Amino acid sequence: MKDLINKIKSSIDLTSEAEEFIYSISEEKKFSKGEVLIREGQAVKKTFFVTNGCLRSFCVDKNGKEHTLLFAIKNWWISDYIAVHTDELATLTVECLTESSVIEFNAKELDGIHARFPEFESYQRHNLERHVVSLHKRILNQLQLSAPERYDLFLQQYPDIEQHTRNFHIASYLGITQQSLSRIRVEKVKK
Amino acid sequence: MKALQIVKYGELKQSLAFNEVSKPTAQVNEVLIAVKAAAINPIDKSIILGNLQALLPIPLPSTSAYDVSGVVVEKGSNVSNFEIGDLVYSRVPQEQMGTLADFVAVTSEAVSKKPGNISFEEAAGLPLAALTALQSLEYANIKANDKVLIHAGSGGVGSFAIQYAKAKGAYVYTTTSTSNVDWVKKLGADRVIDYKTEDYKNIVKNADIVFDTLGKHYSAESFEVVKKGGIVVSVVGALDEESAKMFGIPDYKLPEEIANASKEKNATYKFIFMHPNGAHLNDIKSLIEDDKIKPIVDKIYPFPDAIQAFEHLATGRAKGKIVIKIS
Repeated sequence: MKDLINKIKSSIDLTSEAEEFIYSISEEKKFSKGEVLIREGQAVKKTFFVTNGCLRSFCVDKNGKEHTLLFAIKNWWISDYIAVHTDELATLTVECLTESSVIEFNAKELDGIHARFPEFESYQRHNLERHVVSLHKRILNQLQLSAPERYDLFLQQYPDIEQHTRNFHIASYLGITQQSLSRIRVEKVKK
Repeated sequence: MKALQIVKYGELKQSLAFNEVSKPTAQVNEVLIAVKAAAINPIDKSIILGNLQALLPIPLPSTSAYDVSGVVVEKGSNVSNFEIGDLVYSRVPQEQMGTLADFVAVTSEAVSKKPGNISFEEAAGLPLAALTALQSLEYANIKANDKVLIHAGSGGVGSFAIQYAKAKGAYVYTTTSTSNVDWVKKLGADRVIDYKTEDYKNIVKNADIVFDTLGKHYSAESFEVVKKGGIVVSVVGALDEESAKMFGIPDYKLPEEIANASKEKNATYKFIFMHPNGAHLNDIKSLIEDDKIKPIVDKIYPFPDAIQAFEHLATGRAKGKIVIKIS
């Protein structure tokens, strides 16, 4: 929790009242590998800040195959933001790929924090901008880069992730088959 | 709900019928699965033909088939390892037979989450064949560098067994017919024996394990290629004495040719009767997700064409599994 508070303090002047409020809407939790934090089809009220471990969000297509949207490692946020912001039921599942520690927030209260503490307005906007940038990059990369280029970028973004994930998680993030991923890895070793 | 039922024993077309039956509910230790796909196996055909009446007495009409994949829609009060919405697969126990229906209730111990990287149809084709192969080769204590002969590598069980044995690091011999040689090689077999042009008995020597998926004379013959102190595991051959006892046949004696052949080699003969097991399916899930094993589907039929699927099964020509898409 301290890490998160320090992170916020590095961007804005956090009053003790606001700090107290953050504590009041959050709870530190530990989950074991395989535990599901958000389940497709259910209402979503929480958002999670990762302090340790590795989680992923994914959807399941009509054939039963999984597609990974996002991996979340230390200092990342994860939830089903479609559900949080539209009040629809979850289309994503969020699961722990390793034992993970998170700070769980009530998503609505966290979203509304700037109404009580205006200093959060710019902080939240900044976070949202970064989120939009990263999503747009992910879409553009998917559209215009080759699979090996996407894999290289992925490794830059998540340097230690291969210890925590199965091949198919990575393949399903990159939108390629596991066989293609194996080929790309073999080619990389040759280079 | 709709179900494909066995209404009498005999010819496939006359013995199967689509019936409207009541939807089951989950008992305390069960999950109710909304079926996405079911797969059929040779045993399903044998049951319909009436060949197994003595061994597996079932009340008629009964819904057919054991293999299933789908979504958990209800769970009993004692079930803690599954949640509503989990995507699962199973080889359901005998008393819960009937996966060719919109819903099936299954004891949670026989269920596992399905591999995330394959479709419902691919997952439905796995349980029975995969459990048979895994339990046989694990009984034989398969390990790296073992020499293993798998009879009939292109069958549902054989094709899975080759991949499982390779995942365990074994050296795999397998037999198949000329037209399937390349296909079976792609599954990873080290030495594919074309039984139309080669005699496996001249090629395989001192195998640690022979996996007999053919029965008949192959069971006894397998001892010619197994090493001294090795093991022949069979899923279709004669019962061994221990398994016979389990089936309530007390005075059973192993057929003489098998008894003699195994004695001569000081080797073990064991009949394996596959048992449903969710934990084993979970091991298989890991192997599939790690891309060590690929599911093999021959053909997918829509539910209304399920009887045709059985006719295809009866030809014995399927390469991989025959799957029926339910919803």
